[in-house]
Amino acid sequence: MRRLSMGKCFSRLTLAIASLSLMSAVSAQITPEEISVETMPEPGANWFISKTNNGAYIFDAESGEMQGLLSLSRRSPAVTAYSPRQEFYAAESYMAREVRGERTDLVAVYDFDNLSPVAEVIIPNHMARLQVRRHLGLMNNGRHLAVLNMNPGHSVSIVDVEDRVFIYEVSTPGCAVIMPVAQSDFLQVCGDGTLQLIQLDLSGFEENRVRSEIFFDVIEDAVFDRATPSADGWILVTHAGVIFEVSTDDDEINIEDGWNLVQEGEENWRPGGEEFITAHEDYGLLYVLMHQGEIDTHHEPGEEVWVYDMATQNRIFRLELEGTAQSVMVTQEINPKLILNGADGGIDVYDAVSFKHERHIVTPGASHFEDF
Amino acid sequence: MMLDKLVDRTYYWVDEKARNTSLAFARRLSRRNFLSRLGVFLAGAASFPLLPVARSFAQDSVQEVGDPQSCDYWRYCAMSGTLCSCCGGSYTSCPPGSQPSPITWVGTCRNPVDGRDYLMSYNDCCGKAVCSRCGCHNTEGDKPVYFNSNSNTVLWCFGTEDTSYHCTVSLVLGAADD
Repeated sequence: MRRLSMGKCFSRLTLAIASLSLMSAVSAQITPEEISVETMPEPGANWFISKTNNGAYIFDAESGEMQGLLSLSRRSPAVTAYSPRQEFYAAESYMAREVRGERTDLVAVYDFDNLSPVAEVIIPNHMARLQVRRHLGLMNNGRHLAVLNMNPGHSVSIVDVEDRVFIYEVSTPGCAVIMPVAQSDFLQVCGDGTLQLIQLDLSGFEENRVRSEIFFDVIEDAVFDRATPSADGWILVTHAGVIFEVSTDDDEINIEDGWNLVQEGEENWRPGGEEFITAHEDYGLLYVLMHQGEIDTHHEPGEEVWVYDMATQNRIFRLELEGTAQSVMVTQEINPKLILNGADGGIDVYDAVSFKHERHIVTPGASHFEDF
Repeated sequence: MMLDKLVDRTYYWVDEKARNTSLAFARRLSRRNFLSRLGVFLAGAASFPLLPVARSFAQDSVQEVGDPQSCDYWRYCAMSGTLCSCCGGSYTSCPPGSQPSPITWVGTCRNPVDGRDYLMSYNDCCGKAVCSRCGCHNTEGDKPVYFNSNSNTVLWCFGTEDTSYHCTVSLVLGAADD
């Protein structure tokens, strides 16, 4: 070992003490950080939900920033928001051992502030468990929530989300899709080519049931089980692209004459994807994902978004996408945004009136979107 | 009245003839001989054409062509899900430990070998986590969920102890042109 002189040893010791003093002086100026938890601010304009197979990602379309996550079961069909009570409602299905064990289907209530579960209502274990937006519908009275069942016959579970109680299971053989109309009624599409109207009473029990005349042929040209609300009813579309606007007047079902999205010479274009049709209710604008393909290609993603003025039934724009998209939604704001999911994941945001691309959001692939 | 008597006498005559014939056979034939002749009769009967329904199931197994682990395989024309043939099963068998659903959706697929259309049953195998291999989504003849017998979007794990989806097999039920 090399030996140090007494002087050298003293000078090095002094240097070490000086360094330690300096370090403690620096660390004394910083307050140790503490972890905290955000609470949700008031929802802003153009906020939307991106529903994936493990939850609902909440985004601000204006900034592209994520605001929070609702954790949902993998088998949740959809989630919907009700602003007057500041709550979200989701239908969920769980199994005790993830893929086996006792099954529990339920409607969960989440609050706006923390996106946390605040209540649960157990429903029959008959839920269809498909990620389809119209398998869940909150009646316009904000009280009765309908969940589509398949066991394998079709039925609908009605839940009073205000009193947090299951009401009963309505048998709806051959009919699916939940399209709320009036205050406490909903329309369904049926395999015999008709619409079915179920009217609930104040308690949520079935009061009346009406069937429309036959207006389509499920074998020749089926109406999709994907629909979008309009200003006074709902918009349906067939696999070949025929649009039907439907509405109700008390117990009457009104079905307007069909009109075609596809013009002469465009017969190889078809609507398709997942949740591929959306409308801005106040502006009367309809947006549909379209692709080129043969019959039975109705699940192919869209290559373009075709935009129509519902009042004139004229196409006003063809938005060519860089890739393809499975789902589309327009927000209901004054300056609406068009939200699209890419076939390779992520979200693209367009101005829904000027059709300019505004941003791409990197996020897990969504099955569909929800405005709130 | 006369007609009733005539019918009664005819029945009597038939009964009497049948009884006499049976007795004559019983006297002339031993039991072993009777059994041997019955055997010949049954063997002969088997060579006669069966009813059409039975014949469609009794024909030789379907001739196969292609790769059962490819979504382009002819049986998968209306398939949606993941292929059990990639997951430890085959196009007719569920992987070990999974539970076959008895309730299915159906489709009609053309076999390129013989050019015939076959009625297909797509059964989900259930009770395990999804086997995320060989995803396959074909939509030939697919209908919306409200017409569920022809809808491949539906999760068909009904009637099984556990209702989680694992993968899907495709069984030939018969020739569609029979």
